[in-house]
Amino acid sequence: MERKVQLLAMFTVFLKQQWTGFWRSKGKSSTIVAQAVIAFVALYIVGLSLFIGINMEELFEELLPGKDVYIVFNGVILYYFGLDFLARLQMQELPAIAIVPYLHLNIPKKKIVWYLNIRALFSVFNILPLLIFLPFCILHLPDDFGLFACLMYIVTICSLMLFNNYAALYFKRVSAENMTIVIIGLFFMAAIAVMEYFRIFSIAAISNLFFQAITAYPTVGCAAIALATTMFLINYRYLAQHLYIDEIRSVKTTKTVTDYSFLNHFGLAGTLAALEIKLILRNKRPRATVAKGLLLLFYGLLLYKQETIEANEFWKLLATALLMTSNVLLIYGQMMFGWQSAEFDGMLAKKISVTVFFEAKILLLTLASSVLTLIVSLYGFLSWKILLMQFALYFYNTGIGTIIVLYFATRNYKSIDLSKGASFNWQGVGATTMILALPIMLSPYIIYLPLALIHPYWGLAGLAITGLMGIVTRKFWLGLLVRAFNERKYKIAAGFREKSS
Amino acid sequence: MISINALQKIYAGRTVVDIEQLTISRGETIGVVGNNGAGKTTLFRMLLDLIRPSSGTIHSKDLNVAEGDQWKNYTASYLDEGFLIDYLTPEEYFIFVGSLYDMDAKEVTGYLKEYEEFFNGEILNSGKYIRDFSKGNQNKIGIAAALMQKPELLVLDEPFANLDPTTQIRLKSHLKQLKSTSITTLISSHDLNHVTDVCDRIILFEKGKVIKDLKTDANTLEELEAYFSQ
Repeated sequence: MERKVQLLAMFTVFLKQQWTGFWRSKGKSSTIVAQAVIAFVALYIVGLSLFIGINMEELFEELLPGKDVYIVFNGVILYYFGLDFLARLQMQELPAIAIVPYLHLNIPKKKIVWYLNIRALFSVFNILPLLIFLPFCILHLPDDFGLFACLMYIVTICSLMLFNNYAALYFKRVSAENMTIVIIGLFFMAAIAVMEYFRIFSIAAISNLFFQAITAYPTVGCAAIALATTMFLINYRYLAQHLYIDEIRSVKTTKTVTDYSFLNHFGLAGTLAALEIKLILRNKRPRATVAKGLLLLFYGLLLYKQETIEANEFWKLLATALLMTSNVLLIYGQMMFGWQSAEFDGMLAKKISVTVFFEAKILLLTLASSVLTLIVSLYGFLSWKILLMQFALYFYNTGIGTIIVLYFATRNYKSIDLSKGASFNWQGVGATTMILALPIMLSPYIIYLPLALIHPYWGLAGLAITGLMGIVTRKFWLGLLVRAFNERKYKIAAGFREKSS
Repeated sequence: MISINALQKIYAGRTVVDIEQLTISRGETIGVVGNNGAGKTTLFRMLLDLIRPSSGTIHSKDLNVAEGDQWKNYTASYLDEGFLIDYLTPEEYFIFVGSLYDMDAKEVTGYLKEYEEFFNGEILNSGKYIRDFSKGNQNKIGIAAALMQKPELLVLDEPFANLDPTTQIRLKSHLKQLKSTSITTLISSHDLNHVTDVCDRIILFEKGKVIKDLKTDANTLEELEAYFSQ
């Protein structure tokens, strides 16, 4: 008994210190705007989940009329946890680094492992399923199947959630490369989806079968408890055996020298751009940020509508095309210098002129835009008009967008830790970075709309011509950027020197 | 080579650096000593135009460092790990720094041969990124990269810190060798033995002010030890 009390006291100490650490971390965006946005997003997600949970019956009847609500509900549960597992693999953070300061103190390993396991429960992923599924269980199950069945439903859902929680963490710990597992998982899911489509196999049917069994014989739910317990124990044993600083984190591989020779044609600017490509590929946060941008490329599938294209209503499509062709500009460019915060002092002291420094940035952004534009050119199969619009925007992005982004980047003084994940990471994001999206997204409309009154094609031509003019007069804009940078470089460097923990 | 005039840096009402007049001539090897908070690193950062002085100027070869990039052509420096690019392998970093001085990869490799002893077989072909090296080895990479630039002015902030004894001795003899060229060197250090051994002029800082400016001789070490043990 006394030991248990002690253990509990230890946890509270751990958690309290973590909590303080969270609030005191310098990188935490201190601006009210950023915090308000975070709070808003969190509230929105919680509210939405709760809304879905409470109104599930009506939603099902609305979406799938005529189907038995229980069959749909039972079928959805395993689906949800399948997707939940993939999302966890991508976004759930390992609570590993935080324990390093405790390893050398007089604290038994067992306690640290327990702490890690409990700490892992504090995640959004462990709140959402409760909000989505439990209201339905509580509102409807007791009347139809009795209280015990309802209880076992809840226990089963919680068990599945715990199973997912520990399984995801276990896989993340075991696998050196998260991405490969996610890809395999995606293929697995896709295979199941295809089989489901051809009615060879059905998750919904399995899910339905299992939960129907619970309604008939509630004790069947114990299977889920057993599953969750097993996963917990596997994870516990693995952690207990691998509680060493170098083993908690992923396996290291031999690093080799890489050279992007095609960039050598651009002189020093090319060398610097190559450097930044390495920065993106070799660090967790920028890599994830750019990967997110690639996901946006699917927007066109959803939002390019044949009717709109035929009617030449480009203003409806412009925002989508912008998001696809300039997303690197938007999400990576937001913190253009922040990515280099760790070596910024060195960059300033080296023999690199500010003009070349900016030329390299423009080169990098142009390269990114070119690649994105080439990829989304596949949408040209829908209509040649799409190609026209995307290339007009491409010229606009490279001519004008790059300059706007770089100008705003000189006003961001927050350093970024590249080794942290990108999801829900607001380090380095400030009010200016959020406002930055506005000129990038809105300015094309300012040019397009008036000209489109004459004819939509004129609007597109206007965008392309403005962009080309921007490219032709780049020297002038570069001079402007260099002056803006020189004015604030001390402030930027000082901001970056304040390493965030 | 360098002349500092009425230089002041004030942080939140506290004067961190306050130098009336200081001149450094070409070819001098200067040791900057002082307790924590004496303003050594701040001075170096102002010299490299990383921090804006609150007032006063630093001229390098008669040009104000805050007003142009000229000084970068002949100045090499290593203050801290912030001068390294931590996601590169050491080889990539050396090649990058070399490219700023129009050296191709081959020349860089040739140059690095000279430093095989200094690196003690731990730096090159290790298959690691710079961020995965120990602090001492990171220091070695930074110092070697600075020396590779064949500078006329070399600025090193606590180069002996974190180095193993063998490397400390090798670095010392290397710095002494450099004296035969006309290089001007600024070194800060907490190790009085090393600075008095290497440098021919020692500047002692206290709370941002120069309180002693000595030509190194047989008594310098004793004098400094007397000051620091007060």
